[in-house]
Amino acid sequence: MSEMSASTLARNIINKIPEVESVPLEVNKVELRVPASKIRDVVTMIDEMVPDVLPEMVFGVDLQDDKYELIYIFWSYRARALWQLRVSLEGKEPEIETVCDIFPGLEWHERETHEMFGINFLNHPDLRLLLLPDELEGKYPLRKSFVTDKGRLAESGLPQPKPRPARGESK
Amino acid sequence: MSPDILDETSEVWFGPQHVSAHGWATKLTIVGDYVVECDPNAGYFHRSAEKCLEFRTFRQGSLILERICMVEAFISEYPYIAAVEKIAGLEVPEKAKIMRTIMMEASRIHSIQFWLGQLSGELGLFTMMLWPWVDREYFLDAFEELTGSRHTVSYNTPGGVRYDFTPEFLDKLDKAIVRLEDRIPIFEDMLQGSPTFRLRTKGVGQYSAKNGIKWGLSGPNIKACGVPMDLRKDDPDPNLAYGMIDWEVPITENKEHPGECDIYDRVVQRFKEIAVSVDIIRKLLPLVPEDGPIVDPKARAKANRLPAGEAYGRVEGTRGVTAVWLKTTEKAQTPYRAKIRGPCFNSYYSLKHIMPGLRFADFVVTFGSLDPYVGWWDR
Repeated sequence: MSEMSASTLARNIINKIPEVESVPLEVNKVELRVPASKIRDVVTMIDEMVPDVLPEMVFGVDLQDDKYELIYIFWSYRARALWQLRVSLEGKEPEIETVCDIFPGLEWHERETHEMFGINFLNHPDLRLLLLPDELEGKYPLRKSFVTDKGRLAESGLPQPKPRPARGESK
Repeated sequence: MSPDILDETSEVWFGPQHVSAHGWATKLTIVGDYVVECDPNAGYFHRSAEKCLEFRTFRQGSLILERICMVEAFISEYPYIAAVEKIAGLEVPEKAKIMRTIMMEASRIHSIQFWLGQLSGELGLFTMMLWPWVDREYFLDAFEELTGSRHTVSYNTPGGVRYDFTPEFLDKLDKAIVRLEDRIPIFEDMLQGSPTFRLRTKGVGQYSAKNGIKWGLSGPNIKACGVPMDLRKDDPDPNLAYGMIDWEVPITENKEHPGECDIYDRVVQRFKEIAVSVDIIRKLLPLVPEDGPIVDPKARAKANRLPAGEAYGRVEGTRGVTAVWLKTTEKAQTPYRAKIRGPCFNSYYSLKHIMPGLRFADFVVTFGSLDPYVGWWDR
């Protein structure tokens, strides 16, 4: 089978699923904007048409105001092509279908995204906590609304750092 | 094995206190001494590097990255810098490109030597544990001469490198490589010539390239199956010098099972990686220009505040595809989101598929052969 360039595969996907949009990134690197309901169809097509594709990762981005983005990155070394899928999600507890039965390598990436962002992957076999300690379950630390330790220093009872004198003010 | 043993399954936690468990714990379900189910558990070292990066400036960020994997510090700090350079539009001087590449290859050799000692220790070959670690010291001396630090080198910076090569450093690097070249045949003989080593590694921990890629494995773990997947060749970073010279991607082919690799192949593959790295360093050293800047003079100002954008910086690490995805907002001093892709995240996951069917005693060696480094999954 001849190697498929990034834009050829993108065209094939768009012909079959017209809701998908494609944006060129760099030479032989393409971004596909995929509606959340079509993610399994698109990932299945990538799996079928590119035999040597490496699932690099899935991760979330918190855009605030209950808006999230999921980014999937796939790389084919023979075609030297990269596909970046971008899925927009909304809501307090956003949901999307899992793709880890198609690419097992994404299982842990989805699990991490779930605990860090609170994005629920439907039909995922194992959504236990992966990296976080038990007390952070349901707190979703990579959301922008999560208050970091620096902001919670007062609760700890430790001495607070002295504020710096403003410019022109004597110590 | 008597049949009544086969009726019962028991669960064994391997780690996190075990000496060979560098801070990970894996739950193994065993029948007799055969593993039927493997459940790797990450998270014992998690320091939330991605959240920390959101509170550090772009010039500080790489310092967190290099602490994630200190044995390959020159490589692990690079993807973040590559992403910053892409967004800021920095031009790296040619001299800095070559120097970066040389140091990354030296770091790769150092990391493989460290792994070689670790794996041999796990096999019980204690002479082979200490000898590569002695040679590793020569590389650390060279790093210390160049950067003032043995592990946390902070060498790359957005727009170039921090320190120029000195004659003393070049002497020390040459000494390290000459010693390495003398010693590699001895190591190969000690490992591959040892019947114990062959019995414990041939035909153990096998997987096919097709499965390995689906599990997200990359780097030497896939090249050992005969697949020439190497970002240095396939997607060379514009600010590195791999395109300036001729070199070959090393692969290992298993004659009995084509397209598969066992522990033995992965060890052979990493010896080949060392040879290729030495070759690249030898070819690049004469190309380093005598004069010229080592850092873009406008880099400091440009990297302080970045325009809004997204970039994906990646590099072929010692263990596979090492990458950082970066998103910035207009005129921000810190990243909006930085995602780190560590190659060992997927190596550790893949144990779940590799281990069932193997014996309990093979666990440490099988895992060790994937070159795990805990920082890459517990970022």
